[in-house]
Formats: sequence, C-alpha cells, structure tokens
Amino acid sequence: MSPLTLIFLLPLAAALLMAVIPRNFVVAIRGLALMATLTSMLIALSVFCRFNGHASTPGFQFEEQHDWAPVAGFSYHVGADGLNLGLILMGAVVLFSAVCVSWRINTRVKEYYVLLLLMGGGILGAFASLDLFFFYIMHELALVPAFIMIGVWGHGKDKNYAAYQITIYLSVGALLVLAGLLAIYLQMPAPSRTFDIVKLTSYFKENPMQFGAEQWIFPLLLIGFGILVSLFPFHTWAPLGYGSAPTGAAMVHAGLLKKFGLYGLLRIALPLMPEEGRRWGFIIAALGLGNVVWCGAVAMRQRNLNLLIGNSSVAHVGFAFVGIASMSLIGFTGAVVVMVAHGFLAALTFALSGYLRDELKTLDMDDMGGLLRQLPFIGTVMIMAMMAGCGLPGFAGFFGESMVFFGSWNHSEVVTMLAIWGALIIAGVYMLRAIRSIWHGDKQWPGVCDVSGFWRKLPYGLLLGGLIVFGCFPRLLTDNIAASLASVARLTAESPVGGTFARKERPRPAAADSLPGHAIASDASVLKGLNR
Amino acid sequence: MHEPIPWLILFLPLLAAVVITLFLQRDARLSAAVSVGAVLASFVLSVGLLVAFPYRTTPDDSFNWLQVGSLHIEFGLHLDNLSLLMLLIVTGVGSLIHVYSIAYMRGDPGFSRFFACLSLFMFSMLGIVLSNNFFQMFVFWELVGLSSYLLIGFWYERPAAADAAKKAFLTNRLGDFGFLTGIVLIWAMTGTLSFDGIKGQLMRDPEIFDTLATVMGLLIFCGAVGKSAQFPLHVWLPDAMEGPTPVSALIHAATMVAAGVYMLCRAFLISDVFFTVNALRVISWIGGITALLAALIALQQDDIKRILAYSTLSQLGYMVMAVGFGEPPAAMFHLTTHAFFKALLFLGAGAVIYAMHHEQDIWKMGALRKRIPLVYRTFMVGTLALCGLWPLSGFYSKDTILGAAWAHSPTLFAIGVLTAFLTTFYMFRLIFVAFFGKERSHVEGHPSKSRLIAYPLVILSVASVVGSVGIRQFATTQFAPATASQVPIFALFEPFKEAPMGAWLGLAAFALGLGSAYVCYFGQDTDPLPARLPAISRVLRHKFYFDEFYAEVIALFHDAPARFTNFCDKGIMLIVRLIHGTTEWTGRVLRLIQTGNLQTYTLLMAAGAALALYLMLTH
Repeated sequence: MSPLTLIFLLPLAAALLMAVIPRNFVVAIRGLALMATLTSMLIALSVFCRFNGHASTPGFQFEEQHDWAPVAGFSYHVGADGLNLGLILMGAVVLFSAVCVSWRINTRVKEYYVLLLLMGGGILGAFASLDLFFFYIMHELALVPAFIMIGVWGHGKDKNYAAYQITIYLSVGALLVLAGLLAIYLQMPAPSRTFDIVKLTSYFKENPMQFGAEQWIFPLLLIGFGILVSLFPFHTWAPLGYGSAPTGAAMVHAGLLKKFGLYGLLRIALPLMPEEGRRWGFIIAALGLGNVVWCGAVAMRQRNLNLLIGNSSVAHVGFAFVGIASMSLIGFTGAVVVMVAHGFLAALTFALSGYLRDELKTLDMDDMGGLLRQLPFIGTVMIMAMMAGCGLPGFAGFFGESMVFFGSWNHSEVVTMLAIWGALIIAGVYMLRAIRSIWHGDKQWPGVCDVSGFWRKLPYGLLLGGLIVFGCFPRLLTDNIAASLASVARLTAESPVGGTFARKERPRPAAADSLPGHAIASDASVLKGLNR
Repeated sequence: MHEPIPWLILFLPLLAAVVITLFLQRDARLSAAVSVGAVLASFVLSVGLLVAFPYRTTPDDSFNWLQVGSLHIEFGLHLDNLSLLMLLIVTGVGSLIHVYSIAYMRGDPGFSRFFACLSLFMFSMLGIVLSNNFFQMFVFWELVGLSSYLLIGFWYERPAAADAAKKAFLTNRLGDFGFLTGIVLIWAMTGTLSFDGIKGQLMRDPEIFDTLATVMGLLIFCGAVGKSAQFPLHVWLPDAMEGPTPVSALIHAATMVAAGVYMLCRAFLISDVFFTVNALRVISWIGGITALLAALIALQQDDIKRILAYSTLSQLGYMVMAVGFGEPPAAMFHLTTHAFFKALLFLGAGAVIYAMHHEQDIWKMGALRKRIPLVYRTFMVGTLALCGLWPLSGFYSKDTILGAAWAHSPTLFAIGVLTAFLTTFYMFRLIFVAFFGKERSHVEGHPSKSRLIAYPLVILSVASVVGSVGIRQFATTQFAPATASQVPIFALFEPFKEAPMGAWLGLAAFALGLGSAYVCYFGQDTDPLPARLPAISRVLRHKFYFDEFYAEVIALFHDAPARFTNFCDKGIMLIVRLIHGTTEWTGRVLRLIQTGNLQTYTLLMAAGAALALYLMLTH
C-alpha cells in the first residue's frame, strides 16, 4: 500500500473507529485522535524525506492505482509530485496540531473529534488523489463537517449565520467546480473517457480542447475554485466563518481546505486549458490584487483579533493568485510556496488566537494590551507569526511572495508593485498595530496563565518550525515544485494566444556566467573611476 | 574553497541569540557571557581576517539558496576591503557596547532578552555587510529592521517605546518597498542579482538599464533613505531613542543607520555607472537637506538623546551627500569616524542618564562636570570630534566631504558649512547647559564607578581622536597597495593643501558656533530662544510638523480606504444575509400551509372553493 493512502486513511479510519467507542471514554477518544494524526504526520514526513527529487523523469512517486469502475472511468489513484508533496506534509502537520490544541473541548467530545478527523482526512485525501472523482468527493467529505462544527462548537453571536454563509458559498463553489469537472470529462471521446488526472493531462496535451468548450469551462472552474479559496469578491464568507469556528476547525479549514481551490487551478485547470489560463491571466491578477489590497485594507479596520487574522489570511492567498496569473514557472512555484507557508501560518495564528480566547474570554483588541509579560511563550510565538504574516525573511512566506514578485514583474510592473505594497506596507500596518495593542502596553492581567509543558507547546512549535525551516531552506520545497510545474509553465508560456495581459517579453541578456576577468578587476580600479 | 572564518563571524552571533532564547532565559550572567563572547570572537576573527587577507579580494564563497527557472539566488559571502572595514567597525564598536551594556542593563528583568536581541542584531548587521547579492542583502536588511524593532520596543510596557518601535519598523518598510521594487527591476533587466554578475553585465553593456537607469538607482536609494533615516523618512530615528541607550549607541548611531550608506557605497563598487548623474544629484540633495534640517531641529531639543539623534541624522546626511558627489570613500571615512565619536557620545549620555536617575532633560542637569568628571572629559572629546576640531578625526572626515562638495556644488558646500556651524552650536548648547552652570536638580545620583562603563568610554575617545590616522594608514597602506601610487583614494587627507576652502571654512564655522553657543547659553538657566524668536522656536520644537503632516497623509490614504472597503464588505455580507433570511422566512411561511392538520386543510379548501365560486359567479 502506498504511504499516501495511509496518510489520509488513518484519520478517516480513526473517525470510524471512534464512532463505536462509548462517548464517555474521553481519554480513549483523545488518545486515538492523537495517535492517528501523529502517525499520519510521521508518515507524511517520511514521504517528504524519501521523495526522490533527482528522478530522471519528473513524475508521480508513491503511486497506487486500483480499477474501481472502469466502465465509467473511475479508479482509485493516488500519487505525489512536487506540487502536492509539500501540501500533504503541511496538511498532516496542521491536522495533528489541530487535534493537539483541541484539549479544551469538553462538550460532545466524541462528535467533535469525529468531525475534525473527517475534515482533515478528507482534504488530505483530496490532495493525494489523482482521480477527479475522488479528488472531488474527498473535498466534499471535508466540507460538510465545517457547518456542524461552527454551529455546535462555534463562538460569537453570529455563529449560526456564519455557518449558513460558509455553507452557501462553499456549496455554490463546489457545484460550479463539479459542473466544470464533468464538462472536462465529457470533452473526451466516449470510449476513452476517464477521470484519471494523469491520463487527462496527457490527452489534452496532445489534443488541445476546443476553443468553444474551453471558453466556458475555464471560467466555471476559475470561479468555482475561486469561491473555495475566497477569491475577491467572493471572500466575505471566510473571515466571519473562521472567526466563529472552534479553533481546530478554523485551523484545518483556513490552513488546509482553502488550498484546495488553488491546488485545483494548478493541477487541473491550467494543465488542461493553458490557453485560457493565459487569456484570463489579467483577470486572475486583478482579483488576486483585490485580495491583497482590498482585504488587507479591511483587515486594517478590524478590532476583533479573529476577524483580523481571517481577513489577513484572505489577503495572503491573493499572492498565490498573482503568482498563478503570471503564467511563469517562477510565479507558479512562488504560489505553491505561498500556499504551504499560508497553511502553517493560518493554522498557527488561529491556534494562538483560540488560546487567547479561552484565556481572556474576549478577542476584542481594544480590551487587550500588555499581555506579553503574562504570556511570554504565546506572545513570542504570536509576534513571530505576525512578523511572518508581514513577509519577514526567515519565514516561508517571504520566499513565496518574493518569487511571486519576480515572476509577475515581466507581466506587469503595476501589479507587482501593488502586490509588494500589499506585502510590505499594508500587512505591516495591520500586523504591527495588532502586536501593539495586544502584547505591548502596561495593562496588568492577573490570573491569565501561559501554556506550559512540552506537549502543550508542541503544536505551536511544529507549525512555527515549519515556517522557519522552509523559510531558511526554501529549496526543500522549490526544487521539487519547479520540477513538477515546469511542464505546466511550458504549456502556458507556449500557448499561441497572447492574452490581454501578456506583454512583449523584454530581451534579457543571458545570465552572467563566470567572469573571472571582471571579478579580479579589483575595487581599486572602480574607485579610480570614481576619482576621475 | 570554503573559507570558514567569515562564516564563523557571521553565524556566531546567531548561535548566541538562539542559545540564549532557547536555554538561557533565566540565567542573566551566562547569557551576557555568551552574547559578549560571540561578538568578541567575531571581532577577533575579523582582525584575523585583516591580518590574513590584507591585500586581496577573496572570491565569493556561496551556496545555492534558490533556483527556479531563470531566478537564481545565492547565499554567499563577499569579502573585500569595503566589507572588511565595515566588519571591523561593526564588531569593534559592537564589542565595546556589549560590554558597556552589561553594566547599564544590570538588574533589568529582560536582561537575557536584551542580549539575545543584541546578538540577533549583530548577526543581521554582519549579514548586510557580507552579502554578495542584493536579495540576500534585502533579507538581512529586513532582519536588521526586526532587531531594531525589538530593541526600540524593549521596554514594551511603556506606550511611548511601543509606539516608537512600530513607527520605526513601518517607516523603514516604506523605504524597503522601493528597495525591493528596485531589486526586482534589476533582476528583470540583467537576469542576475549578485554584485559580480551585475558588474559583469554593466561592463558588457553600460546602457543595460536603458531609460530606467535613473529610476532603478533611485529605487535602490529608497532603501537607504529608510534605513539611514534620510528626509523625508527621517521621522523614526528621534523616536527610536525610546530604546535603551546602548541600543541607541549601537544601532541608531554607529552601525545600522550607516547600513544605508554602506549599501550605496557597495552599489558604487559594482560600477560607477550604477547611479546615473541625475540619480546622484537627487542623492546629494537629499543628503544635504537632511543634514541641514536635522541640525536645525536639534537646536531646540531638550532631551539629551534626541539632540544626539538629530545630530546623527545630520551626519548621515553628510555621508549620503558624499555618495551623491560620487565620493564613496569620503562617505565611508566619515561613517567610520562618526561610528567612533557618536557611539562615544551616546554611551556618555547613557552614563549621564544613569547618574541622573533616568532624567534626560538637559535643563534639569547642570554642573555635571564636577560630578562625573570622566564622563565629562570623554563626552568633550566626542563633541570636539563631532564638531570637527583639528586634529581630531571628525575634522578630517568632514573636511573630505566639504572638499568634495566644493568641487561639485557651491550651494551644497554652503549648506555643509552652515550645518557644521549649527552642529557646533547645538552641541555646545548641550555641553554648557548640562555640564557647566549650577546644579539644578538635587537628586542623589550615583556616578557610576563601574569599569565596564568607563573602559568603553576611554577606548572610544582614543579612537575618536586618532581614528582618522588609523583609517588613513589603513586606507593607504592596506586598502589598495598595488595601486596606491596611481590612485590616491584618500588623497584629501592633507586637508589644508588639498581642500583649503573646506578646511578653513569648517574651522571658522566651528569657532563661530562655539562663540555663539557661549554667548547664548553659558550660565543660562532657561532657553532664551523661545522668548526671543517664538515663531522659529515653535516650528523647530515641532520638528517642522512632519509627524502631524504624516498622520494626516496616512489617515487620508490608508485609513479612509480601509473604512470604505470594510463598509463594502459589511454590505456584501448583509446582502447574502438577506438572501439567507428571505429563504428562511419563505420556508417558515410555506410551512404554515403544510401542517398536517386536517382542519386547516379543510378550512383552506373551503376558502379556496368559496373564492373559486365567487370568481365564477361574478363573471
């Protein structure tokens, strides 16, 4: 059995097993959830380490395929390449952390863990799937629990409305995606119809889709996936939904489920319809900028910590869209790094704000202040997370965003500059204002206590560690991502239709090869020039 | 070939910061030892490098940090004379200030955190110095901004310190916005980010930036404007004085704020066509304006640290101006001497504040000359060096810049001389008020007897006196020996011969400034200026209203759009909510007619039949 199957099957199996455990065996339930997700995380880590980045032909590894309904073209097919490798690792870590920080849940414990594991296992399965059918079904499996979790364990006076809103939006999005995926399936000639992503990709590479079909399938997928990722202007479900959700659900939803739409664009929409991708590039960039700038501006106005984090997380996915819109390898790679970094970051910030809510019984930033003295660990981690949120080097997001900037410059300087403004200035403003009003200041907080003990600190450490490791050694991610996405980038770059957004490529001189002569020309000779 | 020494110099402070943060939070003594040990080791290794590689530029030592398509980013160390000089300044002055901090910060509850942050700062600063490409430099540029943020906000319980930290970081971010845009532009035009690569491209084709050459130069300059606090982004540096005094000395006087100047010199070393003539003109004017503006504001400050902060701004303006004249050696020379005497002045101010029980208003001091004679003497040396008295180091470096100004622009030369006059005036205002006169407060202060405070002061005052000689010899005998005979890099060291105008006018400005300060302030108990020139004094005390103006600008361009977008988002949510509400309401109404109650059904049926009957009969 492929280890990928184990990664998502363990949480799902644990959820099933849990259903038969009596509800007052709380310790057993918690232990089972922890063990299942811990094992799944360790397997994901080993898959990440064992992935052969120097394979002679870039392709899927750890593949497993079983025919299931060959008549209709369904099969069980999982595999990993650079694109989903990092996402799966991130997902497993986020899921384990979400289970870890849920120790404060004590109403309907059993149902909570069942739903959380269904959600996490489902989305991990969607990332591992190479079959459109499973890809879609697994995601649907992950979507449903969010509704119940917000409704039952949620917080705030708007939680019922938030639950409905998130469900309405996501159902519409998923429906559009379903229509698009079915339309793709129907584009194949009848005898060879298949849901297998690998076969679909190679088929449409040989026989590009007809313009008439492409023309409306791509926007269906773009808007459908876009709603799932809270693409501007379909973003308003996210901040309120996350703000009302219980901590664990917010972590898995913001960290993991949100990546599904972006992943779908990169895995399905662009490889199958590169021409349309290029044509829609400008729209994608504009909407992505909408996320970065608009939602960033909204975040600046928020006084509730969870709404601020929610809006900032919506703003951050905008960078991934800008990167995708550039239709270049650098931009794509940057977008994937942004996705991985965003997963760690969103989960981490929601975990921390959940801790604060439990301790303070409020998330209104006007009531906070001076907490750093009382909560040194949580405070330090949160300040680091917020710094990561405003693009500080040393955290993974910085490299992702930088690659997005480099990738999109040749497409549009204006888009790039606005994105840089969003990353450096707007994010800086709301993050630093938040740090100022939560952690700094002279307010006293008797009775509030910091998290203590190795196990309680572990989830925060893991998520922060993910950010730092990939932030210092980006090649752990980028080498594999670039190898896997090179073919997609080649398709989008070669597609004959020049989009409205595409500009004449500036002739660029070959990169400077080694210039021994010039290197030796010492500084003195340069200074001589200066003293002329 | 991997040369381990530069890597050790860079990573030892990081190691110290990590070890202190993770393991030594509760052990003040050990964390100080680790931090000081790391910086001392870096200093010793830097001196070792000086001895081992005095004459040659070692090849870059790098590994592949990121490689995606045509984007290639290295992590590498570039060691040449410029970085070696900066390395020595940073680790040398840094070591002294670390030692001083042990005494200054003793007893503070955040003692370990302080040293962890200092070590993090050393790492980031050394990273800027040793970077071999723009991207890596930007990474460390941001990390320096972070450590500055952490250290300004070290006493985060004080609202003023927390606000100052935020302001410093965000103002720097504005500059970084331009810097990063410039870096992306460079990559898009040349396809490379490393200094050697850009040098090669520019040698092959000096016109490679085409019409964007000036824009590119100015974008890169933006980074320096933020970090070196040049007009119009100068507003953060005075507020940064809310941090502990050793931090002000190390970061906000000697090293970090000089990073902008260093970066500009580094860009010059890439190629002398890196900055176009127009870009250079802008740079020199920005420097000149900053020098004058800051000196003017310094005239009416009462806080001892703020006076020094504005003085730092003004001196940085000199350095940037020198770069604008195409004279990076002059800028580096002034950077070096300034690092010595300004660190000395800040450490002296720290000793004063310590003795005065954290009183920083000079009008509440007085007669300190007698109470803390050692501090007085060293502070005097620093002041004289800053004011450019012959033969102290400041005289030579300032004269080099004035000489360059004389050769390039008479107006900027006049501004330079005027600034020199103002510098002497405000510094001696400080000296006369704080160290002379009669005792104004009767706080039972405790003049520090700690040797940890005294030694750094003495060492730095020696450096301030002879700094120029050392640097001159360093420059002529070691910087470029092979070409020393042909290229007199630091030829302007014979000031009276080479640039008599600058030298004599500079000294005249000193004499005039000293005289006027004596007339105005010697023996005064209150500042006479606000009474005599109320309008000017008010403007200067409000720092030309920059803060107020910026607050308005931010409100207009960020807070107002934010309010608008938030309003729209609320509107969208309301609409969705209405749809949701309507559906639910319709459902509730429709439910009433499907109750399963037979009587209701009968009633409805009878009503319907009656209605149908009525309609049929009436037509």
